[in-house]
Amino acid sequence: MAVSTIIEPAAVRTHAAAGWARKAPFALFWLLVAAILLLPILLFLMVAFSPRLFDQGPQWFSLSGFQGAFQGPMLQGILDTLLIGAVSALASAAVGFAVAWVVQRTRVPGRRLWSGSMFALLLVPSYLIALGWERLLEPDGVLDLLHVPDSFARSLLFGPVGVIGVLTVKGIPFAYLAILAGLRGLGEEFEAAVRVHGGGKVDVARTVIALLAPAIWSSLAIVFAESISDFGVASTLANDAHFPVATFELYNAVDNFPVQFPVAAAVGWLLLAMAGIALLAQNAALRGRSYRVLGGRTRPARRRELSRPATSGVFVGMFVLLLLSLGVPTFGALSASLITGLGTLEGGAAFSLSNYQRALTSPELYQPLLYSALLATITATVVVLLGLVVARMLTSRRGRTSARMLDLLLLTAVALPGIVFAAGYIFTYNLPLTNDLGIHLYETTTLLVLGYIATALPPASRVLFGSVGQVQESLREAARVHGSNAPASWLRVMMPLLARPLLSAWSLTFGATLLELPVSQLLYPPNDPTVSVGIEKALSNYDYGGGTAMEVLAVLAALAVIGLVWGIFQLVAPAGWRRLGRTS
Amino acid sequence: MNAWNRRPALGGAVAGALLLGTLAGCSSSSNSSASVSGSGDVTLVVYSSQGYDSAITKAFTKATGIPVSLDDDSTGPLLAKVAAERNNPQWGLLWVDGDTAFAELDKQGQLLDYNPGVTLTAAGETLVPTDHSYIPVSTTAVPALVYNAAKVGSVPTTWQDLLEPQYKGKVGMNDPSQSGPTYPLIAGLMNELGGESGGVAAGEKYLTELKANGLQIHNVNGDTLHALETGQIDYGLIQSSAAAGEVATAKKSANYDPKVVYLGTTTLLPGVIGIDKGASAKMQQEAEKFVQYVLSAAGQHVMQTGDPTGDSLYWPIVPGVDPVADIGAMPTKYQRIDPYYWGPLETEVNTFFDENIK
Repeated sequence: MAVSTIIEPAAVRTHAAAGWARKAPFALFWLLVAAILLLPILLFLMVAFSPRLFDQGPQWFSLSGFQGAFQGPMLQGILDTLLIGAVSALASAAVGFAVAWVVQRTRVPGRRLWSGSMFALLLVPSYLIALGWERLLEPDGVLDLLHVPDSFARSLLFGPVGVIGVLTVKGIPFAYLAILAGLRGLGEEFEAAVRVHGGGKVDVARTVIALLAPAIWSSLAIVFAESISDFGVASTLANDAHFPVATFELYNAVDNFPVQFPVAAAVGWLLLAMAGIALLAQNAALRGRSYRVLGGRTRPARRRELSRPATSGVFVGMFVLLLLSLGVPTFGALSASLITGLGTLEGGAAFSLSNYQRALTSPELYQPLLYSALLATITATVVVLLGLVVARMLTSRRGRTSARMLDLLLLTAVALPGIVFAAGYIFTYNLPLTNDLGIHLYETTTLLVLGYIATALPPASRVLFGSVGQVQESLREAARVHGSNAPASWLRVMMPLLARPLLSAWSLTFGATLLELPVSQLLYPPNDPTVSVGIEKALSNYDYGGGTAMEVLAVLAALAVIGLVWGIFQLVAPAGWRRLGRTS
Repeated sequence: MNAWNRRPALGGAVAGALLLGTLAGCSSSSNSSASVSGSGDVTLVVYSSQGYDSAITKAFTKATGIPVSLDDDSTGPLLAKVAAERNNPQWGLLWVDGDTAFAELDKQGQLLDYNPGVTLTAAGETLVPTDHSYIPVSTTAVPALVYNAAKVGSVPTTWQDLLEPQYKGKVGMNDPSQSGPTYPLIAGLMNELGGESGGVAAGEKYLTELKANGLQIHNVNGDTLHALETGQIDYGLIQSSAAAGEVATAKKSANYDPKVVYLGTTTLLPGVIGIDKGASAKMQQEAEKFVQYVLSAAGQHVMQTGDPTGDSLYWPIVPGVDPVADIGAMPTKYQRIDPYYWGPLETEVNTFFDENIK
């Protein structure tokens, strides 16, 4: 007894310390999530009920924000928003699936071009896609000048079809990346099994789609959330088409004086509710099933040789898709920045590099571009690491409640437009209480990067979700049984499987952060504007040529960096890393 | 199971290290408004949407030695930021076009009354509020009617002219919920037609008639100008600086020759500076020095050269300073609208416009 009384407390202490050591990093992770996501979103949304909390009105409790939100065409706006979110999500998933299939499973020529174009599409702001289409189809626009009958196409563009079309185009790369990752890990054993058991092509398709359910639902949820929170199309095409959407109501509340944050927060609650519906649908569809198909016996799928007519058909289809999604906005950007007088009464359309010369020598491009590239590099690297953790948590069978909370939080962050998210950051980090605690983050580069991380984490973890969810635990457990320690088993077993998805997520985050506007606008440190702020300033000062030239150069810079990173990966990464996930 | 337990642990360790690094880093990059230079000056925090603000803040620092931290952005995001910071303002000086936002900030008790004691032109004096809660330092006007002289046979001179059949479907203007200068334009129209006693009714009736005559709505100045350049409209109602910029920079041809005319009574749209009442006494003193510099000949010169085809196209309200050549003469018949009356009506008017005119 005496011995045990001496030993027991020490044992308890050791055990407790070990337990704490295990839990502390988990707690720190949640602390970070709370600091960059939960608190800013929560405090912003609370303004809808308690304007007084942040001096946004006299009442401690009020529902006037909701009254304000439901004035005018808001009800119609909510229905429209639901419609464009659902249709663009479905259409993006369908097209994204088709593109992923073509790239991953066929020998149709131009596969690298198709996959590269998906990354390019990620970098094109939605308003630029809308601008390109407007330039073509506007009254007395380019098609009119070429005497191409376009009145029917115009009536479609300036309406729900145009809005949904542009948002679908923006959603395709998200759906493509999520589904491609799933398709890559699937192998073709399951397809072979169906065929061996007498199943036809339809049965194969049904089986593949069922096995890819996490990736497909992931893409549906992310495109839905991205579409309902989009500002670029809401403020251009949707506004021109008198097609009210919820985000525009929110924009009106924040961008006009007096600024009505309670109304904006009330609209935020509505967007949040819509995102919640998407998440419920996803959970209901996936509940209780396992999709861990990527294990030690998975073999890469073979590429199919399509028949000549089918190859031609697919090639033409991909070409048309590329033309509509990238060609038209590229034309819009080039016509604005490279060709003077095109489609205008000034006449004499001529190529001119003057806008690019101005942009390249402008103090608003060079230094901000370097600054933004640095911040985007830091953000992308951190987001990939965090995204991996998040994806593991979301796909784990343990801790379902915390995983569900995290998923809801991430989707909320996507569904809330950037400008209100940034306002939430101001509410949180400009509180006198926060300053009293010695935290002076507001108007610093650090807070801007945290804002970028919070903005980029949801889409990045969604992209990783599909791949991470496929990796069977037995792979790492086998490595551990054979004597590998935890880091080594990660490096040798998981990294080869996840290197490509991680690099995809890094590229996505880098590109999106480099040109991110709403968070940058409200949170950039004085004297250190980001490149997107410089571009927006040029555009708002009626310098469309100069602003668009800066935008084109920034997109090219982003593509160059992403190309460089993939090039280094091809040269430096071990052969296994490069080979896995590619088909023979 | 243990293996999985360590996975979030690994991620958590990464996250934790980042968080700690972040918090450690925050102390080294703490709020610039609190920083003090060697001379004892604090850094003056300027929130501005003016195209020449970078040039003038640098010139001010060079002339006075006072360091300036500039947050340059469009008016909308800047005002959103000021509103979000309301319980702990970080700005020392706010400088944007239009005085309706300043009237609201004054009512909220956020502005320091300051009379720079500089005599202004007659137009400038009309813009000064009685309590000196904000300081007008320049002016533009709304609307300037920019039209394609190469294409049109007639030029309107009054608001009523625009309702004539020859202008049907040929007139465009901006959307007040997207374009900053457009609410003052509409408020000016309402003030001219109905006055404060008549409120918004006469203006709403007029806009409805203009809509019936084919008025086209574009987002902002640049979009209305694009519609003019492509021939979708022949007449555009926009801010004077944007119209003057188009006349100065557009390539003239047999089909396109933009010119500007003013309709009836034009509404002045001042460039305005406000000083934060909650800023430190030292920063307030520096902000006052900044206002003095802006109203000096040297400051006006920097403003007139800092953004030659954009915001530099304003009419000075400091006697003895000539406007730049490209802007032309100031309209002889002008009005100042009372921002304390018209400011609070902005949401109501924009909603009317959104539902009935767009």
